[in-house]
Order: sequence, then structure tokens, then C-alpha cells
Amino acid sequence: MATLSPSRAVNPRLGSYFGIFLSGFAAIALLSLILHSLGVEPSVLSLAMLLGPLVLYMAIGAATHASDPLDFFAAGRRVPAFFNGLVLATSAFGATGLVGLTGLFFLIGFDALFIAIGALGGFVIMAVLLAPFLRKFGAFTIPSYLGRRFESRPLRLATALVVAVPILMVLSAELRFAAEAAAKLSGWSHGQVFLLLYLVLLATLIPGGMRSMTWSSVAQSLAAVLAVMVPVIIVAAIVTTLPVPQLTYGPVLRAVGRSEAIQGLPIILPPILAFDLPGPELQPIMKRFADPFGAVGAGAFVLGTLSMMAGVASAPWLLPRLAAAPGVYDARKTLGWATFIFGIAMLTASSVAVFMRDFLMDLLVTPGPAIVPPWLADLAKRGFASITETGTQFTTQSISFARDSVILSLPVAAQLPPMLLDLTLAAIVAAGLVTASAAVTALGHVLSEDTLFGSTWDPPHGSARLHAGRGGIAAAAAAGILAAAFAASDPIRMVLNAFAIGGSALFPVLVLSIWWKRMNAYGAMAGLLTGFFVALLVATGGQSETAALPVALAAFAGVPAAAAAVLAVSFATPPPSRHVLELVRDIRVPGGEILYDREMRTQRLKKQRQLG
Amino acid sequence: MIERKERKPYWRHTKWQMFASLIPFLAVIIILPLYAERLNSNKFLGFPLGYFLAAHGLVLIAVITVASFVRQQDAIDHWHGAHEDN
Repeated sequence: MATLSPSRAVNPRLGSYFGIFLSGFAAIALLSLILHSLGVEPSVLSLAMLLGPLVLYMAIGAATHASDPLDFFAAGRRVPAFFNGLVLATSAFGATGLVGLTGLFFLIGFDALFIAIGALGGFVIMAVLLAPFLRKFGAFTIPSYLGRRFESRPLRLATALVVAVPILMVLSAELRFAAEAAAKLSGWSHGQVFLLLYLVLLATLIPGGMRSMTWSSVAQSLAAVLAVMVPVIIVAAIVTTLPVPQLTYGPVLRAVGRSEAIQGLPIILPPILAFDLPGPELQPIMKRFADPFGAVGAGAFVLGTLSMMAGVASAPWLLPRLAAAPGVYDARKTLGWATFIFGIAMLTASSVAVFMRDFLMDLLVTPGPAIVPPWLADLAKRGFASITETGTQFTTQSISFARDSVILSLPVAAQLPPMLLDLTLAAIVAAGLVTASAAVTALGHVLSEDTLFGSTWDPPHGSARLHAGRGGIAAAAAAGILAAAFAASDPIRMVLNAFAIGGSALFPVLVLSIWWKRMNAYGAMAGLLTGFFVALLVATGGQSETAALPVALAAFAGVPAAAAAVLAVSFATPPPSRHVLELVRDIRVPGGEILYDREMRTQRLKKQRQLG
Repeated sequence: MIERKERKPYWRHTKWQMFASLIPFLAVIIILPLYAERLNSNKFLGFPLGYFLAAHGLVLIAVITVASFVRQQDAIDHWHGAHEDN
């Protein structure tokens, strides 16, 4: 099967299609700007800014129907590296990155970098240690990969259960941010907004599973990038005269630093393991922007980076994306694009935070009595900020900001037209939908492939398999919406915990399953469960004040424990069979047939022989 | 298709490439932020240097690491005949 069938060739018109989509999206935004100056009601325009793009995403979902399992579960394995990497980067960044990371940058400056550089490192590790091999194997889900790799059905079921936990946590956090933004745009209640998001998820994911998820997510990612860039570029052009916010905020940052020194913002020397991430409530800025280690201690910074790395490299909602690459080489290139796009996204988030701090510092260093400027009054009216005392001189302590509204505060503070605030909100909805779609599809495929058909290696042929897949996606979306509606804890901590738990359960097992031949099914099972429960223990123990290790750093305890369990149990039990060893040798070589397809074929032949 | 006796050298080569890509990168990503405070007194493009290296610099290093890994590993695949057929 060395020949490449024509159906696996990359569609040459993808660029034109997404050009058309982007023009449509820009047209909605510009029309809204024109209609606003013609005196159309702003609430109508905001609603159009929410529903217009959603209709476009749903149209793309409906246009990418799949009737073949390969299309439904792996997007036909023909997504070119750039688009694959774009979706991979945006699903790692998500609404949490847009909203939460920007807010953290604004409040604690340098210390928020551990999340971003941890994710960047995660992509590098994924590229080198996991991506090419998982693509060569070609399984549709992580539990299928581990189950097939170790020829163990119990391992497959256990992985399915473990994987569901972090996926649901991420899903609930992302959907909450998306729902929050959608509620601001539409003015509807939370119940109505969650129903709307559920319908959008169903419409974009049910027709073609992974295929429609891929192409609607590409559209959402492009929309999110465009919509987030526009306000920052405008502000950068005003403040620095150059429209490249990521590279030109240096002088602004130095000015901010001088004002911080004049204001006497304290230099904090925290304990080495301090981990004081600001919550979602209103609070004043905590420390100087460019000074490292005020809220997060140096030790916690390094551990947090490593924890994020393990979590991103083995995230069960990111890895299935690799199965959609056309080949092993493209899977590696996918990670290159993902690293690049994620880097730009993170630098944009930090530039938003710096420009916002610049607005604040300009106000604080202005001599004379404190007069609340119109933009600050506007922010306070919207609940994005609050002013505790007026009359005398402003200090850093007298103005508080809501962490999750910092990205929305920038267009308001720069007094840009209201359309740009709507555009930012639309970007948050789009980014939340990208991550939520990735998580829903991953969980849905796990539900149908590894739970419903988990007891057999020969899933039913024809439409039954796809119907089950669609049912799984619908169930996963419903579970995600419920988790989002009833979860109460801070979404950013939720995502950090999800990365920590997923990383400690899966990272050692996945890496060793490729790089260590002697590992067997018992070792994999022991590593998976040890990592999961150690991380869970640290995470639940960390909720109390007395915990020694901060919650999000749980992977630091989990990864070594899991790796030790894999080694100990594998050595204590018999070595793997000849067939499994041959399988590992094949995983390590890029050329040759996709192993998952080969395994499925031999299973079918074996069954036919038994029947005949 | 790769020849049977090529498998061992191919894997050895791949392993060394893995170490060559990851060890310098991990060292930089762990050590660099710890020295950011001391570097901050210098400036580059108007940025405090420590912050610039930890944000922009690490992005650049990550992208270069992945890009060079993709090139090198592809060359290794072709050298040992382990590449994909298409």
C-alpha cells in the first residue's frame, strides 16, 4: 500500500476558502462599524457580532460532512501542516490564554510567563518525543493507542477513564469564558447562552466529527487571531507609531517600569515555592511588570514551567490532532507552526497587558488631585475596574482590576469605537470554541471508540460506527456544558490543574511507550494510575492552605512517581511478547504502512478466518 | 522501506538527535528565567533585557529548535532509508 490514494491529497483550494471566510468575518465587523455611525442600536450590532460568525462556523461544519470512518475520526489524514499547527496552537491557547493569561500578565507581569513558556516547551517536547511516533501509529484516540500498543483492553478502558477527567476540566473552563463573552455580547441569561453554545458545538461537530471540527476550528482560529490583533495593533500604532505591538512595546515597558518605581510599587521577595496566582476578583496590580519572581517564587516558576511542559506535551485533547497530518514529516512540521503561532499569541497577550498598564501608570503619575478620567469611569461602570478612594492623589492601591476583563479593558481605555470591544468578545468566543471543540471531539471519540466498543478491536463497519461517534460527541458536549454551568472554581486554576493531572498520568507512560522497549502492559497500567492518583492527591490536598506543594505544580510529584512505577512494575513482570516488540520497532520508523490500519486489517482477517 | 540491519543505526542516530535538540533547549528554558533579574538592567530594543530574553528570546529559541529538529530528523530518515514512500 505504498501508493498515495488521490483522496488523501491536500485540497489545493483551502487558501481561497479561508480567504473567503476571513472576508466574510471582516465584512461583519466593518458593517457593524458603519451601521453604528448610522445610528443603529448598539445592542443589535453586538448580537450580530456574536451570531454572524457563529452562523459562518456552523455553515462550515455543515459543509464538511463525513461518511467514512477515516474522515470522521482523523479528518481524512490530509490536513496540511500550517492549518494543523494553527488549530493545535489555538486549542492550547484557547479562551483561557486570551482572557486569563492577559489578565495574569497585567497583574503579576513576568511571573505569568511560566504558563506561556511551559506551553512552548511542551510543543518542543511533543515534536521531538511524541508527535512523529504517534502519527506513525495513527490511532484516533490516546486510549486506543495505549490499548493497541500494549495489546491490553483493561489498559484501554483505564486510560479512557483517566483521560476524561482533565478533558472535562478544560472543557468547563473554556466554555465558561466563552459563555461569559457571549452573554456580554447578547445580553442573554447564562442558561440561554449555554444552550446557544451547545447548539453551535453540535452543529459544528456532529456532521463530520474530526473533519468538521478541523475546518470549523481553522475558521475560528483565524477569526480569533484577527479579532484580537486589530485592537492591539491600533493601540500600538497610537502609542508607539508602529503597528507591531509584539516587538515595539519595549519603550512603553521601560516607561511603565520608571512610573512603577516612582509610585514605589514594592519589590517583593517571596519564598522560593510561593505560588500566589491572582484570582478572578477585583484587585490592584501586585508587582512591577518586568521584575521576576514577586508573586511566584523562583522554584515554583521552574516547577510550574516543567509541569506545563509535561501537560501540554501529552494533553489528550491536543494529541489526536496529529492523526490528521498527512504524514510523519508533516506531523513534525505541524509542531513547528504550532510553536510559532503560540509564541505570537503569547507575545500579543503580554503586549495587551503592557499597554493597559501604561494607561494606568499614565494616570497615576499625573500630578494634582485625582480626577477620574472618562475611560476609567467607563471601566468602573462595566465592572472591569473599581476605584476605592477619590479626592486625594491616586495610588496603585486605589484602583482595582478584574483579572478576566483586562483584555476587554484595552479598547475601552483607549476610547476606541465600541465595535472593537465587540470584536474582542467575538475573539474570546471563537478561541473558547476552538479548545472546546477539540476537547469535545477527543472525549466523544473516547466515549464511542474506547468505551462503547472498548471490549472489541473490531468496531462495527458502516454507519453504526459513525452513529456511535456522533452520539459520543453529543454526550461529551452535554457533559462539558453541564460541567461549565455548575463548576464554581477559578477557571485558570482549573486549566492548570488539568494540565498537571493529564501530564502526570500520561506523559511518562506515553514517552516510555515509545522510547523504552522493555515496558509492558502492567507497567503502563501502574504508571497511569500512580501518576493520576498522585496528582489528584496533591491537587485536592493543595486546596487547603497548609499544602506544601502548590496545586498546579502537582505534575512535579506525579511525573517522577509515575515513571518510577512504570520502571518497577515492568521489571517485576514478564517482558513483552515478540509481536509487541515488533510493533515498537515499527513505530520508531517513519516509513511503511500506518500501524493502526495494519492492526485493524489483521484483526479483521483473523476474525474472518475464525468464521470461515 | 528500511532495511533490517539499518534499524539499529537509524534508532541510535535518532536518539542522539533527540538529545541534541532537547538538552540545550531544556537547559535554556530552565536557567534563563532565573537570571532575568540581573539582565534587566541592560536594555535591548527598549525592552529590559531579562524580560525580553525570557519572552521573545524563548519563543525564538523554541521555533529554531523545532525547525532545526525537523530538518535534521528528515535528513536522518533519508540517510537510513527510513523516510515515507510518498
